[in-house]
Amino acid sequence: MLKQLLTTIAITGALMTTQPAWAASPPNMLVIGTNLTGIRTLDPAQNNARTVSELISNLYDNLVQLSPDDLKTLKPMLAKQWSVSDDGKIITLTLRDDAVFQSGNKVTAEDAAWSIQRVIKMGQVGSTDVALWGFKPDNVEKLVRAKDEHTLEIELPQSVNTDLVLYSLAGSSIGIVDKKTVLSHEANGDFGGAWLSANSAGSGPFSLAQWRPNDVAIFNAQPKYWGGKPAMARVVARHIPESGNLRLQLEAGDVDVGQYVASGDLDALSTNKDMVIDNVPGLGFYYIALNQKDPDLQKPKVREAFQHAFDWKAISGNIMRYTGFPWQSMIPRGMIGAPDEAAARYDYDPAKAKQLLAEAGYPNGLKKVLNPSGAATLPFAEALQASARAAGLDLDLVPGEFTPAFRERKFEVLLGNSGARLPDPFAVATQYAFNPDNSDEARLGSYYLWRTGMKVDDLNTLIDQSMKERDTAKRTDIFKKMDGIYAGMAAPLVIFFQRTDPYVMRANVKNYHGHTTWSTRWHDVTKE
Amino acid sequence: MVSADLTSKQESRRSQAGGFADAAPHPLMSLLRRLAGRVVAVVTTLLGLLFLTFSMGRLLPADPVLAITGPEVSKEVYDRVYNELGLGQPIWMQFLSYVGKIATGNLGTSATTGQPILTDLMTIFPATIELAIIAMIIGAIIGIPLGVTAAVRRGTIIDHIARIVALAGHSIPIFWTGLMALFLFYGKLKLVGASGRIDVFYEGLVTPMTGFLLIDAAIQQQWDVFYNALGHIILPASILGYYSVAYISRMSRSFMLEQLSQEYIITARAKGLGTRKVVWRHAFRNIRVQLLTILALTFGGLLEGAVLIETVFGWPGLGQYLTRGLQMNDMNVVMGSVLTIGAVFLTINILSDVLYRILDPRTR
Repeated sequence: MLKQLLTTIAITGALMTTQPAWAASPPNMLVIGTNLTGIRTLDPAQNNARTVSELISNLYDNLVQLSPDDLKTLKPMLAKQWSVSDDGKIITLTLRDDAVFQSGNKVTAEDAAWSIQRVIKMGQVGSTDVALWGFKPDNVEKLVRAKDEHTLEIELPQSVNTDLVLYSLAGSSIGIVDKKTVLSHEANGDFGGAWLSANSAGSGPFSLAQWRPNDVAIFNAQPKYWGGKPAMARVVARHIPESGNLRLQLEAGDVDVGQYVASGDLDALSTNKDMVIDNVPGLGFYYIALNQKDPDLQKPKVREAFQHAFDWKAISGNIMRYTGFPWQSMIPRGMIGAPDEAAARYDYDPAKAKQLLAEAGYPNGLKKVLNPSGAATLPFAEALQASARAAGLDLDLVPGEFTPAFRERKFEVLLGNSGARLPDPFAVATQYAFNPDNSDEARLGSYYLWRTGMKVDDLNTLIDQSMKERDTAKRTDIFKKMDGIYAGMAAPLVIFFQRTDPYVMRANVKNYHGHTTWSTRWHDVTKE
Repeated sequence: MVSADLTSKQESRRSQAGGFADAAPHPLMSLLRRLAGRVVAVVTTLLGLLFLTFSMGRLLPADPVLAITGPEVSKEVYDRVYNELGLGQPIWMQFLSYVGKIATGNLGTSATTGQPILTDLMTIFPATIELAIIAMIIGAIIGIPLGVTAAVRRGTIIDHIARIVALAGHSIPIFWTGLMALFLFYGKLKLVGASGRIDVFYEGLVTPMTGFLLIDAAIQQQWDVFYNALGHIILPASILGYYSVAYISRMSRSFMLEQLSQEYIITARAKGLGTRKVVWRHAFRNIRVQLLTILALTFGGLLEGAVLIETVFGWPGLGQYLTRGLQMNDMNVVMGSVLTIGAVFLTINILSDVLYRILDPRTR
């Protein structure tokens, strides 16, 4: 009987060893291990999040593009050149004539105009950036028009810096779609949205071969791509939510690029000579948000105490090593108007924080509820809780998903992080410093300053100016002024780190460059 | 839940078995009546379960709109999606309209995959069933002999081993075991595949027919794909199977011990029958029915156990689907998954009930 039992176990073990050798990914295939959660459609007009932006950016071309290593200089893509009228009201783009969609249809200015109109008329998240310039469903058809087969005219409904408009055209949501093909699949006036959720109709270097939500997305190279056939015949984005598993697959060579790898696994991979970790700066920050509806937190000295209550240096070398770098200005590093140095504007000083609390009327310290925005910021919140205790702040940490509560101003102290896509300080300033209406009824949940319940008229004016101003030197001054006001007012958004997004690559993968605006492109990727 | 009354039912059946029944109804009628009663009970339970799940979902802090739009959405877009999802109606109305749709076979659309729930389930459920079936086979072919042997050789080394196996299966987190097994068998020994049901370069070679990848590959004689898929399923199924070994072996042992102390066994032994014959031909025959119930319960448990193992192994099945639905407050996904698991329990219950009656003459 014992023999029978051992035989059974041996057969099971043998089954596990009768496999062919497990091969690494082939030389002409790029395998990306990522997290595909929450991607419900691959329609450019209905997306603006990080992972899906990368997928879409390889199915669809934009009119213009930005290199990952130069976020200031717009480069041609479907538009080979463009000009702005003297009054700054009209942008005229001339399209290349050798671009074709995967259907074989030629890319025309009509397709480009319709793609922009479609985004605005659908009014989904993809319209977030381009709608800032005043385009609306009832004016976009008149303002965005094809003059002839290769000439597109964009007339601006209000005075806007045209670079900002062009930057927004480089975002993945404004990928140009094949009007004829998409309209042939339209159902119930949905602009072909349902069909595009799991199909592609672009002129990009890749077409969608297979899409299983939360599992896998497979892309085939387009041999007739106007920019030349990509080296990778196939790219696969695979859902690997468990970081330990992803790390093992990177080490084994089954996965070439890893995204959303956890801090501990990044540490382990950093010592592996077969791996390269690319820390891509992001357009956002890690911050502490202080609700101004709370009478204690309304006091400037209390807000200032928070600046000195967090030992950010202690975590910059470990949990934040790959996800952010110390930065305490509201203007992202390297952008126009950014200070040369803003990595140590406030130090951890528990004694000073205690003194500030005492001056504000809290000699025995202050007790508040602390929430992370979600699971990703929990370690950060734990670190804050520990270091704030010595500073007289007793923070009761309640973990969970608190972004919805933050958007509804139902919180006391929250620790969060942010991201943006427009590579201009205007985008970040809008997020962090703009609030035109502080009433509850306004529900301006996309503005963080509204979420914290503060309105600063001077900042609103400056942000508005930065959108309209065309002169770079003047804009630089505007942003510097903005930063000065923000730093001097003990803002209810206490910024500590600028975000970075780590991409892990096997060393034999070349020319894969994670993009700050998430439009990472695979066209030039090769494997040695 | 639904099947919790099975063991107590055995007891009542056993006590009824010896009595005389006067004017007993036709056995087929009685079986049909019992089945109808069971179906009504389960449907009621399912409705209650749905209502509970629905209410709890509404208490979660996660916002289904933000799950779709991302946190930086403007008021206009937020409101548009909010209305598209029908979240503006009162909760009871949302629930009623949901149940009404279910009655017409419409489980709604997932907020996070954009697909009809039914389409999603048809893609992912076979992956979980395939995993659970192989896990159960592994669990049964190891667990039953192990339990029986432990009972027969009570107090010996094999009994202690069985106990340690059972204890470890109850105390070591499946998540940790999964990662360690991946590290060893995939990371170090390169014996198995890592993530998903198949290596990416085999994607698209097999046309989905049954949804069961191993079967589809075998039907289409794609043996490379078959072996690759086998290499992917064997590790998560073995781990899942191991956790059921613990339970199956413990239960087999106690059933067998109960039988071995019966008079007919002592008599058989006194007559000089060999141990193997006594155990497998006499005692085992009498615990088959109980084991069937245990295996049915185990199968339901495996569906639940798949939640963590599917996350570790990136297995695109129901467990992962449900977890994500909960995380993102995608209520249609949560409810659809709960319904599916409930329906599986219902099916298992009814099947085990029927088999019980076929295998146990005393219940006829």
